[in-house]
Amino acid sequence: MKISKFILPLLAALFATALSAQTQIQTTIDPSKATNVIRIAIPFPQLQASLDAQQINAIFFAPLTRDVAQSGIFAIAPMPPNVPATPDLLKRINAMYLLAVSAHMEEQDYVIEGRLIDTTGATQLGKRYRGPAGALTKIAHTMANDLVRMVNGKPGIFLSQIAFASDRDGAWEIYLMDWDGGNQRRITNHNRLSILPSWSPDSERMVYTSFSRNASDMYIINRRGGGLMRIHTGLGLNTSARFSPVSNEIAFVGSINGNPDIYVIKDNGSGLRRLTTSPSIESTPEWSPNGRQICFTSGRSGSPQIYVMDAEGTNVRRISFDEGQWNDDARFSPDGESLAYTSRVNGRFQIRITNIVTGESRIVAGEGSNEQPTWSPDGRWIAFQSNRSGKWQVYRMRVDGTDLMPLTFNAENKEPDWSKKPE
Amino acid sequence: MTKTLKAVGIALLVVLALAAVGCRTKKTPAPVTAPPVATETAPPVVAPPPTRVEPPVDFVKPEPAVTEEVLPSDIDELNRVAQQRGYIQDAFFAFDESTLSADAQSALTNSANWLKKNSSYGLLIEGHCDERGTEQYNLALGDRRANTAKEYLQTLGIDASRLRTVSYGEERPFDAGHDESAWAKNRRDHLVIIGK
Repeated sequence: MKISKFILPLLAALFATALSAQTQIQTTIDPSKATNVIRIAIPFPQLQASLDAQQINAIFFAPLTRDVAQSGIFAIAPMPPNVPATPDLLKRINAMYLLAVSAHMEEQDYVIEGRLIDTTGATQLGKRYRGPAGALTKIAHTMANDLVRMVNGKPGIFLSQIAFASDRDGAWEIYLMDWDGGNQRRITNHNRLSILPSWSPDSERMVYTSFSRNASDMYIINRRGGGLMRIHTGLGLNTSARFSPVSNEIAFVGSINGNPDIYVIKDNGSGLRRLTTSPSIESTPEWSPNGRQICFTSGRSGSPQIYVMDAEGTNVRRISFDEGQWNDDARFSPDGESLAYTSRVNGRFQIRITNIVTGESRIVAGEGSNEQPTWSPDGRWIAFQSNRSGKWQVYRMRVDGTDLMPLTFNAENKEPDWSKKPE
Repeated sequence: MTKTLKAVGIALLVVLALAAVGCRTKKTPAPVTAPPVATETAPPVVAPPPTRVEPPVDFVKPEPAVTEEVLPSDIDELNRVAQQRGYIQDAFFAFDESTLSADAQSALTNSANWLKKNSSYGLLIEGHCDERGTEQYNLALGDRRANTAKEYLQTLGIDASRLRTVSYGEERPFDAGHDESAWAKNRRDHLVIIGK
């Protein structure tokens, strides 16, 4: 007993140094914003003797420090091992805050206590979280969100979810994962091709397309896999369905006699409206964050290009102009000013970000083909699919292309859609 | 010299005979065309009683060979057989195109002929694309490809109620390769026989 009491803090300190060293490397801070970054020290939690430090590290401390390190708001200050974190030490390592965390058991639950201490020794934020072992990672993300909210006024995105399609269990089905790729789980059970998920504005439901009846149909399901319903449109295709961010409407691609156009229907299957009438192919609609505009892809010029129109189908204007090339998958940034889309460059697809106000445009280049970008709710990150490894996988990067990391590894994974609400 | 000529002659005869047999078994009976509808009713013709005439034994012609084929009752097996024997043929497309080439038209004409003879079946037309485009636009392109074939089959006399379409875009390639030969195979309308 005495030995374990002695060894555990030692182990904890070792983990803490190993982790902070690792996160230091992973963190890339925009130099122009470096002055705004707040240095914070996060020693390994004080654990009740019966707790397994390795387990706490894997499912709680590692996700917590990753979140904080990648928040863009904090930078983790490395702590010398086996030195108590005093206000004096904070000054020496040039940290503004110390996050002191402890963990113990109450009945079957874990209780995590976190205190944010400033250089005067005063507690700026104190919070207690309680839940079973399965909730520890969620507690880590919640704690990181609380830290960001304290500094930023807005919560972090660490509880946001990314929906995607995967064929890891045989047929393509819809899956969910945490923002860091953790907690991957299957939501649908069609056993047939099911693709292109889109989150509802409250991040409770998803709309997607499934071929479970030898035809492509639109379905809605909740994030726990319940409440499945099919939306009957009376049209062909029913693909690229996108929930409006402000209402119960869904924009999608419907087809009559081989003429795909943009339509809108309510999530109860009523109120079908047609927004485009061109004889060319129209595809891939997406709402602006205020719901007043819809961007889409059209082949009306002879090649697939990006257009924006008002949500009533009027005032159509062209956004992409690289004639003869191929553009698709446009998504509005959360501030509504930019579109991220897939653009063919030298025979490969790349993510392009175009400011639709200034017309400024840049390509975030990468290996392989890179398609289907989706913005994080805070607009700082983009998840997308790439075949650079030889298989389609979902990746995540900052909007400037840095801090790239794969989020999926198992079989093939594609069509990420980031939830709109941060929590 | 005469021996060679004789040999050549015999060989020719054998070839001709074989060709005749080949033709007979291959030929399917000509489609029965409905008699033209008479606009005026003709007076009834009273047929004379039949007289039995025995043809000379030497001139009895063999019955025309009729090939019978039981279609597999299992729909997947039927599709396999129909594709293999070319009763139903997929139509192929150029990159980012949904118009029918001469080859595609002839494939569909052939398929329409089978459908006319087998009226208890319908057709699911699956539009497919190669991987070089984007997924979402390709789903729309596949829909256009499938419907182009549907319209063409209708002009050939197949009722729309027997024809269904679906687009798989680039989701279900026939060839998993990443070169032009694979892409060419993947840009197609795949025809699947279904119960009506």
